[in-house]
Amino acid sequence: MNDIGEFTLLVALATALYGCVAYVMSARGNRIDLYLSADKTPFIVWTCVMISSICLWKAFLTDDFSLQYVWAYSNRELDTFYKISSFWGGQKGSLLFWTLLLSTYMLVVYFQNRSKNLRVVPYAMAVMLAVVVFFLFLINFSTNPFERIPLPPEDGRGLNPLLQNYWMVIHPPTLYLGYVGFTVPFAFAVAALLSKNLDDGWIRMTRKWSLISWFFLCMGNLFGASWAYVELGWGGYWAWDPVENAAFMPLLIATAFLHSVMIQEKKDMMKVWNMSLIFLTFAMTIFGTFITRSGLIQSVHTFDEATLGYYFLAFLFVIIVACTALIIIRLPLLKSANELDSFLSRESSFLFNNLVLLGIAFATFWGTIFPIISEAVRGVKITVGPPFYNQVNVPIGLALLALIGIGPVIAWRKATFSNLKKNFLKPVSAGIVMAVALFPVIPLGSRAEIYTYVTFVLCAFVLTSILTEFYKGTVSRMGSHDESVVGALTTMTWRNKRRYGGYTVHIGVVLIFAGIAGSQAYGTHTEKHLQLGDSFEIRGYTIKYEKLIAVQATSIKTRIIAQLAVERDGRRYWTARPEKEFYKGQNQPVSEVDVLSTWKEDLYMILADFREDESATIKVYVNPMVSWIWTGGWVIAFGTMISMWPDRLEQRRRLDRVRRQEQLFPSPAQE
Amino acid sequence: MKQKKIRFLVGSLLIVGAIGYLITMGISNTSQYFFTVDELMNQQVSYAGAGLKVKGNVVNGSIQRDPNDYLNVKFSIEENDASLKVAYQGVTPDMFIDGGEVVVEGTLGKDGVFHANTLLTSCPSKYEAEKEAGKMHPGTFPQADKYRKPGLNKAEALPKTTI
Repeated sequence: MNDIGEFTLLVALATALYGCVAYVMSARGNRIDLYLSADKTPFIVWTCVMISSICLWKAFLTDDFSLQYVWAYSNRELDTFYKISSFWGGQKGSLLFWTLLLSTYMLVVYFQNRSKNLRVVPYAMAVMLAVVVFFLFLINFSTNPFERIPLPPEDGRGLNPLLQNYWMVIHPPTLYLGYVGFTVPFAFAVAALLSKNLDDGWIRMTRKWSLISWFFLCMGNLFGASWAYVELGWGGYWAWDPVENAAFMPLLIATAFLHSVMIQEKKDMMKVWNMSLIFLTFAMTIFGTFITRSGLIQSVHTFDEATLGYYFLAFLFVIIVACTALIIIRLPLLKSANELDSFLSRESSFLFNNLVLLGIAFATFWGTIFPIISEAVRGVKITVGPPFYNQVNVPIGLALLALIGIGPVIAWRKATFSNLKKNFLKPVSAGIVMAVALFPVIPLGSRAEIYTYVTFVLCAFVLTSILTEFYKGTVSRMGSHDESVVGALTTMTWRNKRRYGGYTVHIGVVLIFAGIAGSQAYGTHTEKHLQLGDSFEIRGYTIKYEKLIAVQATSIKTRIIAQLAVERDGRRYWTARPEKEFYKGQNQPVSEVDVLSTWKEDLYMILADFREDESATIKVYVNPMVSWIWTGGWVIAFGTMISMWPDRLEQRRRLDRVRRQEQLFPSPAQE
Repeated sequence: MKQKKIRFLVGSLLIVGAIGYLITMGISNTSQYFFTVDELMNQQVSYAGAGLKVKGNVVNGSIQRDPNDYLNVKFSIEENDASLKVAYQGVTPDMFIDGGEVVVEGTLGKDGVFHANTLLTSCPSKYEAEKEAGKMHPGTFPQADKYRKPGLNKAEALPKTTI
């Protein structure tokens, strides 16, 4: 089995290499024979990578410790569930997993566009194959997951207990689906430039791909935050760690891209900008992988391997140079048909939204690489931590929040005064009402508290502006179609999926903003060393340490549980059981926190330490409004689903386009 | 037409400038020097009082806890024969053990003791650093004595496993 896995990887590499070259040659030389031959490669590559992945999975499931990778990430007692997810638990497997996802995407693109658009698609396939070649090269020659151990050990090392958590099972694949997905719009953008088909065809063809990738990236970030929150046990969900930043930056740039392509579709403007954004998004996904793989930047969750880092750096360099050159060469063809009319217009709000999103991305990028730059320039390593990111990104983020409220209601082209008055009266009033209502009840002592106050006021403004849009649409539909409120709302949303789906996503973003603001400013925490029976108070909760329990949970896991009674207003409110788990074969215990989550606040307990005399150190956090963040995430997911749902009207429009295009440029295959 | 373009250019530059200003201010207000213990000791300039981040390995047997206040910890870290005394107040992470790699953030006092307000251990999900290099872990539970369950003598339940 292992030999098959190793061999198919080589076959995949050779096929992908051939396919890449053959596609380009067929498109350049109008050679149908080559095209027909090249068109078989995506399927072959996918099959080979799939077979290889199945071999690795089989090795995990059958406890084949002759593979170094299986030995390092699994053992006999591991749950089947985690044996499957160990596949992407480490460096080698995660690269193979990456390649598997990429070639699967490629296969879907291949079936979607078979013998369609023969000017563009071959180039796009070639670009995707080129990326596949890079990853297959790494797997074959640098980090082969099928590396053997000559004398197979009896048992494996086991999976890191921190990774034995359901969030950790779904978080990496989700993130990878997002990361990898941007290869598709990237490939089509390059193809558009190469083939000189520079209308918005590539954007329309890949709109769904961009949305899906954005969705997975967004969810991946949120899942990662959830995992950190429930598993790492430090009371927070985001630490501005380089690896987190690496996933956050492509998300920001992709968000800018999703917005600015609307301007190109509607107004035929910002062509160069959109090209640059998608290239930057793709480069960022590779940069993110580079950070996680190279260990160049000190981070808590990197895989260490220097040589691999250089490969990624080289690849990144090639991408940036090639893309920049390509845009410059095609610059004359990328002229905008229109230009911006007024500051006070929807178009310019999109422009500012883009600048602000890129601003956050750049600040994050700068903070991430600052240690390297300062070391190179000044010879001293200077690092920046969460205070830097908070100080810089919070004000920019607030500007972004305000724009979310302004964008949907400001008029296209040029907003007049009466138009502004009509559209902004309600949202601004809501903001003012919120400001007045909160002023007496909210503490405004520190900078964080003032920011939070401003965030809440802006949230009221934005939410009102979005809900007014829903309200207006529903009322006008009820007037003209004699439908119930629910009926009108649903039909209206259904007939304008992109628009109202987008608004729904915005509502989710507002909830996340509110949750972050609340939890950052008003949280409190304390740590106490307690004897049995001791109690203390925090934020109106009385917490009493009742007992310490030891449980031999499974043959490999021992749990030490502290039981604490939480009382509120004299009544028993909750029994908290934070614990520490000891795993066989791992040299450190894992803290399992216990969280009571309500919409108002989370009560978050950690068993930090315990001693022979049954005394224990307990750390307690009160984190207000954290659940708003996760709720916001689900709202975003729902909104994205709406705007991604297949739209028959949209499809018909697209088919017409494609047909027109093929009549204008008969494809080489038809000639 | 021209005028409009200029206005947009100015507007955009204002935004970019504001972001640039925020970044510069942020860096100068919040940055910390990052040294390993030996680098810090070999510095010509004194960094006493400045925000510092120092990396090193915990000296074996140097961890001392105040018997009256369990959260009060003193220990030393070393790197390449240079060592530094550290005082820390708070819960220590799971991975804070003799010989473990730690990063402390805080200030260096005049007395040469480093007052840490943050103590970070390098996360275990630096998954395979050692494993990939072919080194093997002893694979024992840390300080098995300390974590032995009171009363129940759980020593058997927390076995020493070697690979």
